[in-house]
This record gives sequence, C-alpha cells and structure tokens, in this order.
Amino acid sequence: MKTSCVCIICPKGCELEGETDGQEILSLEGASCPRGREYLAQELRDPRRTITSTVLVEGGESPLVSVRLSAPVPKNQIFAVMEAIRRLRVVAPVSLGEVLLPDLLRLGCDLIATHQVFAAEKYGPR
Amino acid sequence: MNLMEKDCIIIGGGPAGLAAAIRLREAGVRDIVVIERERQAGGILRQCIHDGFGLTRFQESLSGPEYAWRFLEKAVDLNIPLLTETTALKVCPDKTVIAVSRRHGWLRLRARAVVLAMGCRERTRGAIGLPGTRPAGVLTAGVAQSYINIHNLMIGRDAVILGSGDIGLIMARRLTLEGARVHAVLEIQPHAGGLPRNIRQCLDDYGIPLLLEHTVVDIRGTGRLESILAAKVDANRNPVPGSEREFRCDTLILSVGLIPENELSLTAGIELDPRTGGAIVDEHYQTSVPGIFSAGNVLHVHDLVDFVSLEAETLAESVAVFLKNGCLESCPIALKAGSGVSYVLPHTISGTREVTLSLRVREPLKPCLITVRQAGGTVLSRRFAKALPAEMIHLPLEAEIVNGRTPLEVTAV
Amino acid sequence: MECFDVLIIGGGVIGNAVARELMRYKLRLGLLEKEPDVGTGASGRNTGMLHAGFSYAPGSLRAKLCVEANAEFDRVARELDVPFRRTGKLVVGFTEEDRARLLHYKAIGEQNGVPGLEMIDRKRMDAIEPAAGGNFAMYSPSSGILNPFLYTIALAENAHANGAEYFLEHEVLDSRHEGRVRRVVTTRGDFLARWVINCAGLHSGRVSAMLGLPGHTIGGFKGEYFVLDKRAGEGVNIPIYPPPRPDGGFPTHATPTIDGNMLVGPNSLWTDDLTDYTVTRASLAELIEDGGKMFSRMKPEYFIRNFAGIRPKRMDPATRRPLDFLIETRDDAPGIVNLVGIESPGLTSALAVARMAVRLLATREPLEKNPLFTPLRKGILRFADQDETTRRRLIEENPDYGEIICRCECVTRAEILAAIRNPLEVATVNGVKNRTRAMMGRCQGGYCQTRITEMIMEECGKAPTEVLLGKPGSTLFTGRVRP
Repeated sequence: MKTSCVCIICPKGCELEGETDGQEILSLEGASCPRGREYLAQELRDPRRTITSTVLVEGGESPLVSVRLSAPVPKNQIFAVMEAIRRLRVVAPVSLGEVLLPDLLRLGCDLIATHQVFAAEKYGPR
Repeated sequence: MNLMEKDCIIIGGGPAGLAAAIRLREAGVRDIVVIERERQAGGILRQCIHDGFGLTRFQESLSGPEYAWRFLEKAVDLNIPLLTETTALKVCPDKTVIAVSRRHGWLRLRARAVVLAMGCRERTRGAIGLPGTRPAGVLTAGVAQSYINIHNLMIGRDAVILGSGDIGLIMARRLTLEGARVHAVLEIQPHAGGLPRNIRQCLDDYGIPLLLEHTVVDIRGTGRLESILAAKVDANRNPVPGSEREFRCDTLILSVGLIPENELSLTAGIELDPRTGGAIVDEHYQTSVPGIFSAGNVLHVHDLVDFVSLEAETLAESVAVFLKNGCLESCPIALKAGSGVSYVLPHTISGTREVTLSLRVREPLKPCLITVRQAGGTVLSRRFAKALPAEMIHLPLEAEIVNGRTPLEVTAV
Repeated sequence: MECFDVLIIGGGVIGNAVARELMRYKLRLGLLEKEPDVGTGASGRNTGMLHAGFSYAPGSLRAKLCVEANAEFDRVARELDVPFRRTGKLVVGFTEEDRARLLHYKAIGEQNGVPGLEMIDRKRMDAIEPAAGGNFAMYSPSSGILNPFLYTIALAENAHANGAEYFLEHEVLDSRHEGRVRRVVTTRGDFLARWVINCAGLHSGRVSAMLGLPGHTIGGFKGEYFVLDKRAGEGVNIPIYPPPRPDGGFPTHATPTIDGNMLVGPNSLWTDDLTDYTVTRASLAELIEDGGKMFSRMKPEYFIRNFAGIRPKRMDPATRRPLDFLIETRDDAPGIVNLVGIESPGLTSALAVARMAVRLLATREPLEKNPLFTPLRKGILRFADQDETTRRRLIEENPDYGEIICRCECVTRAEILAAIRNPLEVATVNGVKNRTRAMMGRCQGGYCQTRITEMIMEECGKAPTEVLLGKPGSTLFTGRVRP
C-alpha cells in the first residue's frame, strides 16, 4: 500500500513516499535522513505527538507558566493530557526545567516547565 | 542625564539582540548595552510556547522560552547590561540613541556602533484592506498568542484563521487544544504560507481544513464578530462570484504576514529595501549608515529562529572588527534577485571571503535549480529537491568563484 | 424619581455642545447616550474638517451657523484644549468649467460671510502648497482641521465638570407626557424631565416621532474612508480638494488629519440602514482607484485602517430633496427642543447650533446664569508632542511617563491611565484609543492592545468578560484560559 506523509521531526519537512503493508515499511523515498524512516515506522505503529501548553501559577509575577512534555504521548491521549494540564495549579516560584507533574496519566512522560516564574514580590508594586 | 558613551548599543533583547550581545562579549567587546522594552528579555519567543526551536542550533527541539533562556542565561553569566523596560525613541545618524524608561528616565546614549535588532510586527486587518464591519473578535495571530499564552485570556470559542503562515497554524492548534473550534484556515495563495510540518501537526492532526485560494470577503457583526464570508479567489486574487460561504464564528485570526519593524532605522536615515522591508546591508550586515548594523527579523523575516541567532552572531563578528579597525572591508559587488527569486541578502559583498546568501523563491519549485550568474556566466548552481517561499534558502558563496566587481544575479527555476 | 430640568438625547458633538452651553445656566441636566462612549456616531466618523461655509445655500441655517462657529474656533480650541490647526484649504481647478464652479462657490461663500476667499494662480499655489495639482485654485484661509473625537470628548468633559450628568449605555426606547413633565424610558430605567432635547443625530427622526413630532425622513448618506500611515502624510499641510462635480459635491479626496495621517475618501452612497458601518469590497476598490488619481501615496503599503461614516440627511419625504438643519421649539410640543438632520457641517457648527437651541429654550423659560460655570477644560497631556526638556521633567515627576505603552504613537503609561480614569468613566478599549491615540498607529495595537486591556481590568476592577472593545456587546474575552 502506498503511503505518503510529511515528516514532522525537523523544519525541513521531507515528503515521505513509501510502500507499506500497513504495519511495516517495505520501501521508502524522500527522507533526507534516517529519522524519516523512524518517524514513519512510529507513525504506522503508534502515532505520537508532543504538546505544549500553560499551567496556572499562583502568586507569580505572571499568571501562567509554559510547559511541555518530556516525551511524545499517543496521539489519542492528547486531550486527556490537556485536561490534566488544565486542572493543575502550581505555586510560584517555578523554575525552568522543573517537573510539575511526574509520569503524567501513567504515560511515562513528565510535564516540565519551560520558563521560570518568580514570586510576585520580586517586582513589587509599580 | 549626561550622555552615556558605549562601544556598542544593541536595540532589542530578542533572539537577535541577545545573540549579537553574547558574541560581541566573546569577541572581547566589553562596553556594550542591550535596550529592551519589555520587563523580560527574550522577545517574541516568550509567547511562542510551542516546540521546534533550536533543531539546527542545539540539535534538540526546544520551546520558545527555553530557546530564549539559553541565550539569556549566557547573557547574565557574561554580565551583559540589559536595560529592560526601556524604549528607544530615536536613533540618530551619529549613533546617538534616545531612550526612555521609568527607572532610568530620559536616556541619551552614544556608541561607536549600533545594532538594530527590533524584530518585526504583524500585518493588520487595515493593511490588507479587509472589508466589513468592525466588531470585537478580529485580531492578529500574535496578539491572540500573547493573550492566551501570557495574559491568561481566552479570546473566543469559534474561530476562522485567515493566512496559513506559521503563527496562524500554531494558533489553530493552540486554540483547538484549549477547547475552541477552528472551522478553517483560509489562504489566498495557491500554496500554504507556513512549513509543511506545521500543516501536518497543527491542522491535519486535528482535522482542520486548509482552504487554499480562499479569502475573507465580508466581516459581520456589530458588537462581537458573528460570522465571516469566505470566497474562492481566481488567479488575480479576485473573489469568484457564487463561491461565497458563511462561517459562523466569534473570532477571526489574521496571520497575513510580518513586517520588519524599522521605524527607528528610518530615524537614523537608513535606506530600506522595499522587497524585504528591512535595511540594505552589505556582507557585514552594515546598513547604509556606517557603524549601524541590522540583523534578524528587522532585516528580513525569518522562518526559523536558529538562523536569526546565526545571522546576529555573524553581524557581531563584523561589529567587533569594525570597533577594532574603525572600518570594514568595502563591499563593491552588488547582488541582485533575478527571476524566480523574491529577494537575496546581503545586498553587496566584498568578493574576498566566503559569504552565505539568504534568499527566498517566489513560487514553490520542485525540484529547484538556484543559479548565480556574473557577467553572463554561471559561477554557481545548486539543485534542491524542493524550494518553498516559506523556507529560506542558505547558499554559501566562495570568494574564488567571484570575478571582478560586476554584479551577481541569483535566479531560481 | 428625581426630575431633571433638561434631558439631552444623544451624546454626539451636538448633544455635548448643547449640554456644555446649557451648563452656563443653573439647571439639572442629564445626557442619555446609547453607546458606552460619546461621539461614536457621525461625530467621530468624518473627515475632521472645520468648514469655512462656502458650499451651503445662502440664508440656510447650515451656512449661518457654520460661519458663526468657524469664526470663534481658535478660542474654543484653546478653552477646551482640543488639537486644531487653521490650515486653510485649496479647492483646485484645471479647466474653465472648473473655474466657473469655483467662482460660484466663492460668490456663495462671500454671501455667507466666509472671510478671505480668493482665486489664486499657480504661483500663489506654489507658495502655499507646491504639491497641490491644478492650474488655479480657490483659497479658503478660514478652513481648518481638528480631532473630532477629542472635540466631542472635550465638550462632554467640560459639561460634566460644570455639573452635567452622563448616562452612557442608556438607549432611549420611549417617551411620554406625564402631567407637566416627560418620562423618558431607557434600557436602564426611566427618567423624568421638564425639557427634552433631541440631539439623536442619525436617529433624530425616530426620536422626534417618539417625542410626538413625527413626519421627518432621514436619509443615510454613507461615506467610506481609508486611513493612511503618517509617512504618507509627511509634508502635506493643507487639505487639497479636487474640482467640485457638476452637482456641487466633491469627488474622493485626500485630507491630512490633525495628527498627521491622511484620510482618503469619502465616497458617497445612500443607505437605508442608519447603523450599517460595513465597508464594502467594492467601495475600497473604488477609493483605491479614485484616491490614487488625487494622491500619489494612495498605496497599500500606507493603509492602516478603513472605516465608514453615515450623515443623517433630513429629506423632503415627497421629493427626497435634502433639507436644511431643523432646530425648533413648538407651541404644540411644550418641553421639547427638536434638532433634526444635523449633519455636515455639524462638527464645525456644533456650538452655534447649541446656542441657538439654548436661545429657543430661553424664550420659553427664563434661565438663571450659573456663576460657577467655567468654559475651560484640560485634555490629557501628550508626551509625544512635548519638547525634550518637558519630556524629561514629566518623567522625573511621574515615572509613568517613562513607560511607552504604544510605540507607534509614543503614548505613555501616564496617558493611558489618565484616559482610563476619564471623568465620564468610559472604560472601553476604543475609549482609551480615541483619548490617547494608542492603537491608532501603523501596528493597530499589535504591541500595546494586550497591555491596555490588562490596565483597564486592573484600574476598573473588571473581569475579562466585562472588557469591551467599543460597542455594547463587543466583549473581547470569553474568560480565563486557566480559570
């Protein structure tokens, strides 16, 4: 069966054209690096995505901290993950790289802060 | 306030300004200052919470804030003075900079070199002359991104996005993840404006249709946006009668292009290129005013921040030489964008060292042959599997292949 | 329920001018406006011209009131601290036919008492404005340009400071006699008054009928405009009008604004819907084509905005011929001053219109002078307009002047705060915009809008869902992303 898709691993966006049996790759063209094959193989077996979002911060100099996942999650779990992120509240200060939620939904990945948020006192009133 | 004298003033603490400052310090230029209007440096990256940054630079996929932090951390380590919450009002041709700040008051600074790193702004509804009423709920993608990611404010529940630039695609996904419904992304061109990977992971993954050769022909609603009328366009971008389709929505997001923010460059009397909207520069990234340099999105709009940093670092190396020698090698050879190429940078080169050209093609080409000609002869040609207007092409040009001072022309087929 | 001496319906330039002039007397006065701010209808949607009065029929109210109000405007602008420049105006001509029409206007103008009208040759034109096209021109030295938002706001704030009470977002639904007073029913409760003054502009025909004076036909005369970047306005100091059309109207023209932008427009078309501010694709194309003939910088790179305005033209119901302003009191309608069909040159004429309305009221009821009345009002100081010494001093005295919120127009935090804390308690985003110019520049709020909405929420204690762009219902947010 012919399969074609755009590789999302890097901004190059290689257009992968392959022959598959639905599970395994039989032949592949268009990938300019080995990651293209890995991506397509994963996409056929168990498509995964990483997502980024924000978490509510209490007592911080900004109301939100940006977050990401430490590893991709199954595509069909994205909205479940978003729901967990939406429910979470953290207290300032938050440091960049801090794990805000370990082993999110037992999916084997952590929720990580991608920015630092100081406690509100740091700046004080204007 | 007395005049503050510096070796180099960098205007803008985004990715370009920070990268330039760090490289200047590393090159031994000590007396520098970065002027940043926000409370925190990092520029637009602070609101770009999605990942995909840094793949070229750091070989890993970072979010915007993380990418910015790598530079900010280094700037702090190097003790680079950052004048935050300070807005530059004017840059004079003699390299005096007027700035104001609540903490420092009225500032008059002068430097031997000024680096312009102000980034870009978004094209607006008014600039593209969209018809209709003026309800709330029509906003640019960057403003929407700032509201949602920084200010914790939700802008709507039912959206249509006009323009398939990367920010528009990223916002389509972001809104969907936050529970809004994105009905469609409309693109007036016959090809997408953003990167193919973003079409796939921001639209296809969530079943959001991309309607090519479509635009908005009416905006309806008095208080809040009630609906938009979309229509297909013909080859001249005129709406095809009868193709109109109404989308009921409370939000219209515009991702219709970025414009280098060169208001300060104009106060300095710097010549701009109408095609890029940025300064005319030589291979040192020096503008038409000696000692004033420009790089990053204020020079031309990039698709990847990695190349913004790289460009700013190359600029910084030139600035270091300029500060040391008081001048730079002259660049008498002009570079011109020929057929198939919308622009090529830098505008002039010396011909004595290798430079990397940045260029964009006018239309998608698959495959694509880029040719550099001089005096009728081909000096360089390179084949690419594909070339898209959305993707900037970097083309190294060795000094040996350049002969004399006749202009070079770059074409794409 | 307390009874007002006077209730004014409509917070446009006319309603506010009437309020201001009535506050010279001891009266309890209320002004009802359906929108969240003053001046959002025809008053804020026009070219911002102070007209000289050379194109109105001699003997008409339009001619008389325009010339009267034009003459005093330097003083008015000073009193109310309103940006205004008496630029003069050139109406250019190319052909002998044009010359005949210009001479016609000159004669009308002189009959109306317009001062200083002159036919000038190319040489004189070069001295006044070398960029003007044409072989000759009529020069009108008394024409000028002003900021229509700030003028209307200034009148309102001055009236308010002298004791007028403002009721915004109060749309009048009905009115009836109740003994010797009138009850006015609004969307937010009822009011009683001894006098009701109809200043409802576009809706003056409808309100007149509500007050028991039916029969007025109001036609909407719509004009659409492009606003161009200040860079397009560089060096353009005087409005230059093209030769008038055979019917006496002016084709699309380019006019500098008091703030340095250029307006290209208006086109002109009749509309039945007096609230339809839609700008159509066809009109934009027409403006680009016609405007381009008049003004070389009519190019997409200079576009920053477009808008539409509608003029309420009172018309003869039978012939649909436009009629003059109607300003009247009547024996059969006690307690009512009726102003119908006040359109261009309404902005110019506002105070003269107001004085006439006050005189009519005073013939029916003696008015007692208000000794505390002050004609003076101070606007928000503009950081961008100050010299360096003043700017430095301002920042030293108040650090909020050191924080630039709107970069394109160089508007500081101090000005935004002053606008949010405006005396009329208008708390919309457009309210801040019209008072400060923040968000009016080339990025249209791309940089500052997020800050300004945050400041409105903080200063006014508003929830995200309560922040309005401008009109009722124009909510900007559905709530918090993370509640």
